[in-house]
Amino acid sequence: MAEEQKKPKKRMTATKAAASIGPMVKEFIKGTVRAREEGTQKLAYTFIVCHHEEILRAMDVLPIWTENFAGICGVKRAAERYLQRAESLGFSRSLCTYALCGLGFDQWREELGEMPPDPPWGGQARPDFMISSGQILCDPRSKWYQAAQQFMPDVPVYNIDLPHPLFDPKRDHREVWGYYHKYIVDQLRGLVSFVEERTGKKMDYDRLRELTDLSDRTWNLVHETYELRRAIPCPMGTGDAMNTMVPLCFMMATQEAYDFYADLKQELEEKIAKGEGEVENEKYRLLWGGGLPAWYALTDFNYLNSKGASFPAETTYRMVVPVYEMDIPETDDPIEHIAWKWLGYWTHWYDKARKRPGSEPDVERLIEYIENYKIDGVVMHLAFSCRTWHVGLIWQLHQLAKIYKPIPVLMLGPGGNEEKAQRELPSLILESDIIDITSYSEVDTRNKIDAFIETLEAVRQNRAN
Amino acid sequence: MNDTGNVMPRVEQYYKDYGLRAKELAAQGRCVIGYVCSFVPLELITAAGCVPFRVRGDIHEPITKGDTLLETIVCPYYRSCFDLAVKGKYSFLSGTVVPHACDSMVRSYSAWAYSLNMPYVHFVNIPSVVEASSFEFFNEELKTFKKSLEEFTGKEVTEDDLVKAIRLHNTLRDKVKSLYGLRKQDPPLISGANLTKVVTVASSLPVDEAIALLEDVLEQMAQREESPLKKGARILIDGACIDNAELIQLIEGLGANVVADTICNGARDSWPLVRVDGDPIDALSHRYLDAVNCPKTYRENKSGTFEGDIQARFRDIGFMAKEFAVDGAILYVYKYCDPFGFEVPARKAYYESIDVPLLYLEDLYSGGTIGQLRTRIQAFLEMIE
Repeated sequence: MAEEQKKPKKRMTATKAAASIGPMVKEFIKGTVRAREEGTQKLAYTFIVCHHEEILRAMDVLPIWTENFAGICGVKRAAERYLQRAESLGFSRSLCTYALCGLGFDQWREELGEMPPDPPWGGQARPDFMISSGQILCDPRSKWYQAAQQFMPDVPVYNIDLPHPLFDPKRDHREVWGYYHKYIVDQLRGLVSFVEERTGKKMDYDRLRELTDLSDRTWNLVHETYELRRAIPCPMGTGDAMNTMVPLCFMMATQEAYDFYADLKQELEEKIAKGEGEVENEKYRLLWGGGLPAWYALTDFNYLNSKGASFPAETTYRMVVPVYEMDIPETDDPIEHIAWKWLGYWTHWYDKARKRPGSEPDVERLIEYIENYKIDGVVMHLAFSCRTWHVGLIWQLHQLAKIYKPIPVLMLGPGGNEEKAQRELPSLILESDIIDITSYSEVDTRNKIDAFIETLEAVRQNRAN
Repeated sequence: MNDTGNVMPRVEQYYKDYGLRAKELAAQGRCVIGYVCSFVPLELITAAGCVPFRVRGDIHEPITKGDTLLETIVCPYYRSCFDLAVKGKYSFLSGTVVPHACDSMVRSYSAWAYSLNMPYVHFVNIPSVVEASSFEFFNEELKTFKKSLEEFTGKEVTEDDLVKAIRLHNTLRDKVKSLYGLRKQDPPLISGANLTKVVTVASSLPVDEAIALLEDVLEQMAQREESPLKKGARILIDGACIDNAELIQLIEGLGANVVADTICNGARDSWPLVRVDGDPIDALSHRYLDAVNCPKTYRENKSGTFEGDIQARFRDIGFMAKEFAVDGAILYVYKYCDPFGFEVPARKAYYESIDVPLLYLEDLYSGGTIGQLRTRIQAFLEMIE
């Protein structure tokens, strides 16, 4: 496998915090392998952004983030052998490659009775149980562990259903969210019972309340920290944010995660005070407007940086809004609070979207970031194997261009005179995959980036003010 | 070969000019509501005085305008439906209902809602798991759907309306089941291609007209003393939605008979009935969430073994295979279909466990690629004969 022989180039980070993430993840993955060997904690395969971490941590369950391990395989350019194994089992390469990577790895580990040879960072430990999630989106999250049971039939699955009301411009979501909340609470209580049964421990609700409070404070801190990136020049870009998402997505409900963002906030404040930007001479401020990154090609961010482009904001992995801004009922019950927070997050842009004709929440979020972060262009990544985060991007850009034209330019009017007009933001869609490197061409990607930079420069020159 | 006598020209006409009757009805002022998936509770649409209309794709129509709004990584069947809608093929629809069935549907909901300018668009959230709290939630979601239809049509949907609609749709399903029954004998009394056309056309008509059409076909069949078809390998088709008869024609053109299926616009949708006693909303909720056996719905492995799990999840396949004495099966899955795609190895194992030879095909929704499947199907048929 030629691609696996190539050692990936390391992406240059702008912040010390982002640079500290690699060793942290390595230690985290090795820790799960150690825990398996020593039998110290129950291990659970599970998915990020399911708002169940507080429950797991309150019951001393160690989560194994299977998407994370697949991402590491991508970063290390070591995914291909697991993808090929999954294909040989009958899974199509067109399916979620995170899941294929995980299934290929699991099948191999179960067949050998030990870790496959040379696994990235010690490999993925065998779980005691698996917690999947049937959300409003992501079919693979509901199907992956069910498929994995073919190789691990003794490992039980609990599937939490976590729906939220879809946006309807003619209806206030609060009309229906009562029964959504009740259902989510029932689902989370079912998870508690499932984990109690598997661990032989009863839930300590005081501890759960403390952890939900810690998560809330971490959410608020992440928001405040990322808001610092409004500064010009921007002190930290999306390339770094693809690292700093780790505590947010994999370590929520831990003091370590809170402390990480406290340190990052301090680092960004210091950089802002010194006028240090992600790039030396910031010319363009870009929004990463959607799509998971090509994990094996994170150096593309450095390439964009080298052209004077910085990324002050991204929608990907920024799965928080400040809890104090959420319009959700207060409750002392931590399970009920988690369920409200879930609904509060997913419906956060609904009211705003309802006010702007033609808008919808994903588009409204883009507009909010464009305005708050003074954005000059939008970049998205279309990963062929993931419908969850990558279907709807074209439409969002289409709708954005239709309803939002923030750039003043001078155009030739009907009388031959220059007249002020408004035009939409330039946008770029990169295409490849999250971890399947066979879909990626560095030359094509960089040609596209070059053309996009030329467009940004032309717009910069032609701005009417 | 025309194996169904005089009623078939009508079926052929409606099949080729799909939506002809719905268009006429819309021109007369009837409200026609489109849907694409078996999870949409049609009884509520009928009870609201509207005509449920199953939107079809077209394997011979290149996808063009749709691709300007929707990514090519969407299920190709769904992309085709969307493309035709964008091109105006379904402009007679007053609205559309999208269920939470798969990522392709959920993530493209906004594109449907905003790009097609239909007066009515509604999303029905289908739970992913089947347990007591899921039914409670789904009951509420169905009430929300009912309310939105009432607001749109200005007509209250009474319990009596709903019970009547349930009975009508059950009657239609019984007729379709009788039609399937004609394929139990060897050779079958009706070909798989013609059955697909009849069932497809029925899903484009108001339920009473669909019942009448099925009655005509069944009456015609009753007069038949012997089958016009020849004996051949008896094949079951497994997969999602196959609303163009070409694949089945190809199989039958190679000497086999397609005698059973578990597809969405076939037995998956037509066989399960709605309970007629008790609360109609609760009856609908149980039918659509539990009885419609779609891979999208997670069902807990209660056996603790893989073998036990697949026996429970795929029992419908085993039932059809036995009931229709099949010699082999073709699992036909569209590229980019996550719900089915993740089940392929488990389904393969299941077919092996019931000793039914299986051919697995991954394909695009395209007339061009169907032809390329000929050699593989031919080799499979030779192997099982």
